Amino acid sequence: MTAFDLAAPPVAPGPAILRRLMADAPVFTALGLLLAMATVPLFAAMAVDPRMFQGVDVWVKPAKFAVSLSLYLLTLALFARWMPAGTTGRRWWRIYAWVVALAILAEMAWIGGAAMFGTGSHFNVGTPAMAALYAAMGIAAVTLTSATLVMGLAIWRNPATGLPPALRLSVALGLVLTFVLTVVVAGAMSQTLSHHVGTPVTGAMLPVMGWSREVGDLRVAHFLATHAMHALPLLGLVALRLPDGAGRALVWAGAAGWTALVAGTFLQAQAGQPFLPALG
Amino acid sequence: MSPETLFQVANPLAMAGWLMLVAHPLAPRLVVPVAGLVIPAILSTGYVALVLAFWTSASGGFGSLPDVMALFDHPGVALAGWVHYLAFDLFVGGWIVRTAQAEGIAHLMILPSLLLTFLFGPAGLILFLALRAVLSLRAPQRE
Repeated sequence: MTAFDLAAPPVAPGPAILRRLMADAPVFTALGLLLAMATVPLFAAMAVDPRMFQGVDVWVKPAKFAVSLSLYLLTLALFARWMPAGTTGRRWWRIYAWVVALAILAEMAWIGGAAMFGTGSHFNVGTPAMAALYAAMGIAAVTLTSATLVMGLAIWRNPATGLPPALRLSVALGLVLTFVLTVVVAGAMSQTLSHHVGTPVTGAMLPVMGWSREVGDLRVAHFLATHAMHALPLLGLVALRLPDGAGRALVWAGAAGWTALVAGTFLQAQAGQPFLPALG
Repeated sequence: MSPETLFQVANPLAMAGWLMLVAHPLAPRLVVPVAGLVIPAILSTGYVALVLAFWTSASGGFGSLPDVMALFDHPGVALAGWVHYLAFDLFVGGWIVRTAQAEGIAHLMILPSLLLTFLFGPAGLILFLALRAVLSLRAPQRE
C-alpha cells in the first residue's frame, strides 16, 4: 500500500444496511448514494446562483430530482433482495440495471445542464434541439420507471421471498402501481407542456414541494403516483397485524384507494384547482 | 451568497488546512484526513457550485490564451479558478505529507516544499519530487 492509496480497504466499510444494498443491487445503490451526495454541490449552487426560473432558483429542480431519484434507486435496491434468487446475477439483469442507471444519469445531465444555462428542461420545445432532447428524455423517463414494473412482476411471481403474503403483495403491487400510475400521469403531463393548469399570479406555493396554491398543479398526482412504491409497502407493514386473508384484502383496498387518490388529484389539477385549497 | 463573501470564507479555510499540514507531527492522525481530504473536498464542492452557477454566464473558453483570460473576467468564474488553486494545492500538500511519512522523510525536510506549494503550487511539487528522488538514493534503513 503506497502513501497515495485511496482505494477501498479489503473489508468493505460502512453500515451493514449499505453493504447489504450494495451486494443486492450494486449499480442502483452506488448511483443512489452518488446522487444523494450530488445534492451537496447542487444546494451550494443554489446558494450562490441568483438566477431564477419560473419563480424559483434554477437549482431547485436539479436538487429535487437528485433527491427523488436517489430515494427511488435506494428503494429499488432495498426491494431487489425479494426478486427470485439469482436474478441480480443474471446477464440480462446486469445489462438492464445499467440501462436504467444510464437513463437516470441522462435525465440528471439534461436537467442539470438546462439549469446551468438558466433554461427549461421538461416542456422546453423552444428550439429543434431542445425539442428532440425532450422527446428522448421522455423515452429515458419511461425506461427508468420500467424498473418498478420489472421488479414488481419478479417479486409477484417469486414464491420464495420469505415475506408474509400481505407484505409481499404490497411490495409487488406498490411497484407495479408506481409504473402504471406514473406512466399515465406523467405521460398526460408531458402532453400539456406545463405542470400548471392555469396561470399563477402571485406564485404562492406549498413549502418544499413547490406545488401551486393558486392553480392546478399536475406534479401532485405525479408525486403520489410514483410514491405508490412507498405507500403500499407501509400499508403492508400495517397489514401484518391482520390474518393473511384480511391483510391481503387491506393491501388491495389500499391499492384501490391510492389509485383513486392519484386520479382525484389529477382531475383536481386538470380542473385548475390547487391541491389542499384550505392551505391556500 | 456573493463571490466576495465566498472568497472570504475559502481563504481562511485553506489557510487552516496549511497550518495543520505544517503542524502535522503534533496530530498526524487528525491532519492527514482533515487537511489532506476533508478541506480539499469542501473547497472542491464550492468550486463545483461556482462552475454550475456561473460557467454559462462567462464569455471565453479553453481554446486560446485570450479566451482563457476572458473566462476570468467574470467574478464567479475567477473565484472558481481561485478555489481550484486552493483545493488542488492543499490536496498536493496533503499528498506530500503522506508520502513523506510513508517513505521516512523527516517533516523538517518537507517544510520548504509545503511553503512553496502553498505559495506557488507546482513549484513546491517539483521541489518535493526532486527531494524525494535524491533521498531515495540513501542506503535502505531498517525495515
